[in-house]
Formats: sequence, C-alpha cells, structure tokens
Amino acid sequence: MKILGFIAALFLSSVAFGQEFLTKNGEVTFLSKAPLNEFEGKSSLLNGLIDLDKNLLDFYVDLNTLKTGIGLRDSHMRENYLETDKFPFAEFTGKIDEKPNLQVGDRRSVKAVGTFKIHGVERDIEVLGYLTKLQNGKLELDASFDILLSDYKIPIPKLVFYELAEVQKVTIKATLTQKK
Amino acid sequence: MRTAILTLGLFFTSIGYTHAQLERKLENTNQPVDLIFHAPRHINLLTVEPLEKKTMHFAIMHTFGTLDGGIENLFGLDNGANIQFSFEFGLSDKLSLGAGRSSRDKFYNVYGRYLLLEQTQNNTIPLSMSFAGGAGIVSNPYSFLSADERPDFADRLAYFGQVMFARKFSNKVSLQVSPTLAYFVNPLPIYQIEGNQNLYLALGFSGKYKVTDRSSLTLQYIPNLNSDLRSNFGIGWDVEVGGHVFQMYFVTSQALNEQYLLAGGNGVPGEEFRLGFNVNRIFALGQRKRGKS
Repeated sequence: MKILGFIAALFLSSVAFGQEFLTKNGEVTFLSKAPLNEFEGKSSLLNGLIDLDKNLLDFYVDLNTLKTGIGLRDSHMRENYLETDKFPFAEFTGKIDEKPNLQVGDRRSVKAVGTFKIHGVERDIEVLGYLTKLQNGKLELDASFDILLSDYKIPIPKLVFYELAEVQKVTIKATLTQKK
Repeated sequence: MRTAILTLGLFFTSIGYTHAQLERKLENTNQPVDLIFHAPRHINLLTVEPLEKKTMHFAIMHTFGTLDGGIENLFGLDNGANIQFSFEFGLSDKLSLGAGRSSRDKFYNVYGRYLLLEQTQNNTIPLSMSFAGGAGIVSNPYSFLSADERPDFADRLAYFGQVMFARKFSNKVSLQVSPTLAYFVNPLPIYQIEGNQNLYLALGFSGKYKVTDRSSLTLQYIPNLNSDLRSNFGIGWDVEVGGHVFQMYFVTSQALNEQYLLAGGNGVPGEEFRLGFNVNRIFALGQRKRGKS
C-alpha cells in the first residue's frame, strides 16, 4: 500500500508541477522576397509544445493550411514545391540551448537548437527568439529564421526565379497555454 | 502483487515521457486533390477545375487554318484564325459564371459551371464532378442577305449542357469524361457548322499526362453519339509559366465553344490538323495588391 501511495504521488507530482505549454493556433508565416514579387504564406494553425521541465520544444504545422492569398498559387505551392500529399508537415523538434529562469512579465531572448523538417528533409538548425511569461499561465513565443529551399530539395525553376525567393523567412508567433 | 503494481506504476509514468512529442495530425483529413488539370480549359473543353471565389479566369483561344497548306501558308497561320475571348468569374468556390465570344459566326456565349463533388486525397470522394451549361447566339448580321432571308433572333440561338467527371489517378495522370449535348434552335446552312440536326450528343474525353512539374502532354477526343460527323481529336502540350497556363495543340476543328465543337464537324486527324493556342490567366479580384503574382 505504501508503494502504491508512493507511485501515485510520483505520478501526480509530474502532472501537478508540469511546465508544459501548448498551442494549436499559433501563427506561422513564410515570407518570399524575390526581385519581382513578394508574398507570404500564412497559417494560424501552428501546433506547439514547450516543456520547460524536460526542456523540449516541439512544433508542427499542416502545410495544407498555408495560404498565400491566391488559390492557384496555393495549389502550385502544394503540388510542385512542398508536395504536401507526401510531406504534409513542417516540423521542428529541439530544446532551448540555455534554459531561462522565467518570471511573470519577463521577455527573454532564447536560442533553440533542434531539427527542422520540411519536404521530407531534416536539418539541424538554430533559431533565435523571445519567450515571454504572461500571467494566468501563458507563454508567448516570437521567433524567426531563414531557410534555403535548396537545402530541403525544393528546386526553383529558372522561369520563376524572379518570382519565388530561394531564401524563405519563417516567422512564428504563438501564445501557449499551460497544460493543467 | 507488489511487483505487479510497481510495474504498472512504472508503465504509467513512462507513458508520460514517451508521449512527449505532439502527435502529427492533419487539419483536414478530407483535403481535396490539387489541380486535376492545369486550367479551367483543356485544349477546347471545360474542366472540373474550379475558380476560387472572387477570381477571374481569362482565356484567349485561337485555332488556325489547316496545316496541309505547308510553309507557303505558314502551316495554316495565314488562314484566318478563329479566336475566342472568355472571362469567367468565381461567385463562390464552386459556382462560376462566364461569357465568351468566338469570331466564327461572331458567336457570343454565356455559361455557368458548378462543382458538385471534389476529389479528396484520401479517396473518400474518388472523383470530381461538375455541371456546365450555357446559351449562345450567332451575332453575325448577314447583311449580304436580304432582310427576309436573314435568320431572326430565335434562329440564332444555340445551347449546351455538360456533366464532367474527372479523376486524378496519380500525380501524373488525370482523365475527364464529359457527356455533352448541344442544341441549335435552327441549324441554318449559313452557319459555319457541318451538322444539320438540332440536337447533338457527344462524349468528351480529356487526358493529361504530366511530364515535368509544370508541363503536360494533353489529349482531347470528342466522339459524336448521334450524328455522322467526324469526331474531334486533339493533342497538345500545357505549360505553366508563373501565373499563366499556355496550351499549344493540334486539333481537327476550328471550333472553340461547346456548341460548335459538337456541330461544327472535323477534319481527318493527321491530314487536316490545325494549330491551336490558348493563353489562360487567373486574376485575383478585390484582394490586397501584394497578393497578386
């Protein structure tokens, strides 16, 4: 019986003091700045987890939800570039390099290291961003990083070189809520 | 008993850790397939490819004279082209209305398309299905005819109706079957059609074989079901360049709208091919300027 109580306490403790923050509606933007054309693909369905106890970051977005404002361009993006039928997600899994000790109201710059995956290609990247601890158990994250399409085996045909940028600036903004 | 509880306990705590990563879930498991065809037109026929709400599809289509004139007539380009301009507006993501004008008989056409079913990637809906229908009028004044010989308003009308079934079989292969009818109120010999009956029934077949990410081999075959007219056959090449889709093809008829495609008659494939050329462009209306490509 003692042991049972001990296990229950262990189990509960990890739940009660969990520092897991979650979101399902973060914003993610891919900005393409080519010489002749600038546009962005946006989604407000970024899923994210920040676990400050285990120092785990895990984010993904369904690329089918990315919208550029023109349906035909979205279709081309999905079919010819991202190939979302085979690779529907963009994902980042990693950890915070130096875990900050956050107090309510603090806005701290953080560096995340981990693996970014898109178009079936994984690469280790570093992302700089800011974490802000808000009241009522919320955590705000802003971050941005650049990705090179060729790094992820997404070729740009010469004909659209002036319309689609090789470097895509990815911006993330999310408010995560503490898991209860 | 104790060990059993202990292992059970360990099992539960370990679940907490293995579940660390988020489970990857699609937001919409019934995601529609993208681009069964490159454009709302495929050689001469309409496709199931819908227009997004508040977008406009503009198409210029040309068919030239027969190739058999050779280099002297620049393979038919010297012989007057039939040209059709058409605009189609997306009223919703499923319904669109369009208007076009073909130079052959100065034929104006108004038409609508409605997307009833959209093929999904997970095959819960295995094909896309659209309806199209339209009404057209021959506006040639026929001023060389005496006033009582000229066709009156009702004689000039022609209608069409079409159901389109299309499926993207793979990233490369798409097929569409389009049972089509055309009805000429009075198929006068003065019109540039070969048929002399009122009602024409045909099956339209459209095929696409994707060769590169942005270009495809295209096919069109329109067997007539209730007339002795030769069937329409076309073979071509679609290229996407930026926001344009260019379509080049060889086809057996100069007709560019549904009514004339069915009633117009056709040359012998191979012998009386004509060069054809379409430019398709989709414009976004009423959206921020930055969104334009």
